[in-house]
Amino acid sequence: MSHVTPAPGNSRPWKARLLSHEMLLLYVLLAEWLFFYFAGTTTNRRGVVVGFGTWDRQFDILRHSCEIGLLALALTPVIITAGIDLSVGSLLGLSAILFGQLWHDAGLPIPLAIAFTLVLGALAGGLNALLITTLRLPPLIVTLGTYSLFRGLAEAITRGSVTYTDFPESFLFFGQERWLGLPTQAWIFFAVAAAVWLLMHRTTFGRSFRAIGLAPEGARYAGLPVGRRVALVYVLAGLIAALAAIIYTARLGQAKADAGTGYELFAITAVVLGGTSIFGGTGSVHGTLLGVAAIAVLKNGLACLPVVMRMNAAEEMSGLLTGALLLLALTAGVLPKMLSKLRPRRHAPAV
Amino acid sequence: MSAAPLLALRRIAKSFAGVRALRGVDFELHAGEVHALLGENGAGKSTLIKVITGAHQPDTGEITVAGQPVSELTPASAQALGIACIYQQPALFPDLTVAENIALRLESLGALGRVRWSARRTRAAELLARVGATISPDAEVRSLSMPEQQLVEIACALGAGARIVIMDEPTASLTQKEQHLLFSVVRDLRKNGVGVIYISHRLEEIFALADRVTVLRDGESVGTHPVADMSEGALIRYMVGREVAQIYPPAESAPGEVALALRAVGCASSGVRDISLEVRAGEIFGLAGLVGAGRTELARVLFGLTPADTGEVLLRGQPVALRSPQDAIAHGIAYVPEDRRRHGVVLDLPIAHNMTMAIHRRLFPTTWLRFGAERSLALDYIRDLAVKCSSPDAPGGSLSGGNQQKVSLARWLATKPRVLILDEPTQGVDVGAKSEIHKIIRGLAKDGLAVLLISSDLPEVLGMSDRLGVMRGGTLTAIFPAGTDAHTVMAAALGQAEKGAA
Repeated sequence: MSHVTPAPGNSRPWKARLLSHEMLLLYVLLAEWLFFYFAGTTTNRRGVVVGFGTWDRQFDILRHSCEIGLLALALTPVIITAGIDLSVGSLLGLSAILFGQLWHDAGLPIPLAIAFTLVLGALAGGLNALLITTLRLPPLIVTLGTYSLFRGLAEAITRGSVTYTDFPESFLFFGQERWLGLPTQAWIFFAVAAAVWLLMHRTTFGRSFRAIGLAPEGARYAGLPVGRRVALVYVLAGLIAALAAIIYTARLGQAKADAGTGYELFAITAVVLGGTSIFGGTGSVHGTLLGVAAIAVLKNGLACLPVVMRMNAAEEMSGLLTGALLLLALTAGVLPKMLSKLRPRRHAPAV
Repeated sequence: MSAAPLLALRRIAKSFAGVRALRGVDFELHAGEVHALLGENGAGKSTLIKVITGAHQPDTGEITVAGQPVSELTPASAQALGIACIYQQPALFPDLTVAENIALRLESLGALGRVRWSARRTRAAELLARVGATISPDAEVRSLSMPEQQLVEIACALGAGARIVIMDEPTASLTQKEQHLLFSVVRDLRKNGVGVIYISHRLEEIFALADRVTVLRDGESVGTHPVADMSEGALIRYMVGREVAQIYPPAESAPGEVALALRAVGCASSGVRDISLEVRAGEIFGLAGLVGAGRTELARVLFGLTPADTGEVLLRGQPVALRSPQDAIAHGIAYVPEDRRRHGVVLDLPIAHNMTMAIHRRLFPTTWLRFGAERSLALDYIRDLAVKCSSPDAPGGSLSGGNQQKVSLARWLATKPRVLILDEPTQGVDVGAKSEIHKIIRGLAKDGLAVLLISSDLPEVLGMSDRLGVMRGGTLTAIFPAGTDAHTVMAAALGQAEKGAA
């Protein structure tokens, strides 16, 4: 007497899958990429192909996406629990300084300095978690506070002037060389992406994050350890921000207090563009990766367009178009709902 | 009394998603009359008020105001006709002054949107004087007591030219003295020719204040009488006096050992005090009482949501500490909450996710999701409880109320509990699903579960329970055996215990 119509395998119809937010974003990404490939690739006077359509440029895009990409991965679970973490960019700066200090001033070997930096990053995330879960303060306010606090600490430690440089070649390998054909840090980025994807989509942790984002009270009534789960996402965000700081330092070969300024907003943009609801509950890690890629390709592709190069306006144009893309993505998500709300009213039978 | 009543309702009916909230209500209100509306929880009082204030459109029936038929009542047109409602919790803006609150309701925008402060203050003072309130128009509403806020509401109603004032349990949170003040205002209103619809569970108030009383039962008006002709006993009889319309599944098993015992349990923050009771394995212990009597609060204490601060809870003879829902679940207590849309089912998540939400640790011991195991468990419960759904992947919000309730129930049955607390399990559920849920509950008791059944549906709690406790004012006031008549239980719930056979 089952009332279930048998649905073999996954029941989502292929049409819905092709029109999912992630797929639409993939089409946009492909379109972007093809556009820049044809419009942004030129041959210079010596007959060498330059611009967007070169391997070097593609690797460059990947190399420059890793830090913001890591922060976006850190923010995805946070936003899915209906929280926010504005402090990740500042924490990147603080972690870079702490790493430089541990290595240069405290004389620790690089691996140990990395390990300590990661622990300190997790602890900084723990501070956010503590304030949010035990004092029940809104995440926006707490992390707005630590956003200033972490950056201020970084500047206080360096007195605004110290920059740590002269890192050993073996360390710079992580940020400036290639390994197995790809920029080294890309491998780290992909590994973290895979880990966060598994956490979000294949474990009970991801389940609880979603439930908490959709119905925090309901999650409590279901016996989920809401406080502990919320704390976890902020600790994880701190840990990943510290990792991003290591990669940042290795890429530029220097650690300074203003590292990662404004990165949190790029990361949030990527997460939301990737289809994660800012109100929590829905979203995916692969969506976030596509969001990161769409922004990175846009930014770098624009810099390759001859017209943009002539105006020397790559930064401005990319800011403008990223904003437009984000607003478009948000409207595209809401529009069908609005239309379906309007429809029944129009055709309502007269009673 | 004049020939044309101020308000007349004829055969008003209203259904929500197949549940008939009102089946046919006749009601008449005259000018200068206080007309009490009485009925047990769920008899249809709230729905009727919403029909009168235009918040709900009745499916059938007619409404006449002062002799004029009204075809479509909206909140705006109701207000224009002079209908005002004073709710239990005044809906004022706490950070604005009294005069500003009154102005928000009554003032229309002047030329250029200019605020004429002096006129605003004078008017507020005038209206407050009319209800006999000594409140400064400049006082912030935040600083006022509850009855003072109610007076402001009444002043607003008068200022809007209300001829019909509905008062929904206005005394629920008032002290004795504040009640007397309110009563004198109501009497003044009556003297000035206003018709007052007065809703209250407190019979003594009805006898003190009302001229006539209409009793609602199961969405029907069962009669209107002058209060002078009624006794308390007669009123209670009217409220509950139905034949048992539904067949409840009979008890089939003898109760076993004591599964749950409470000794003088209390929780100051939620107003629960000094509760002692025992529930045996295989027994359904019903908890009756009026809304706000503390039954849900007791359930929240037992489930660790608001832990007890006094007394002792014993599970199979062992004292246990229930500090959190996780503790409660670990000790085999399950709680199917009253508000299933907020607490029972996460509407945006698939049915399968909802059903396994409380057993993550058992079903996924490595935290690694096992989709196959989850799906087969969900399919089992969908079959056992006959949940009508397209697939286990359908979101919880796509189901009807009764089927959502079954999903909520499945989530807790999956925890293999020893004690199951059900809070209003059939509220807002259609008749068919209701009797299915009753059969499920009886079956669970037969399998040895101790069931604590909280219900405001008197026939349900009478029909289902092996024993029945009545709560009032945060504590357990009486325990009755199965087969106790509705009149006795209702009297106990209303606090007329001396007449009950306790």
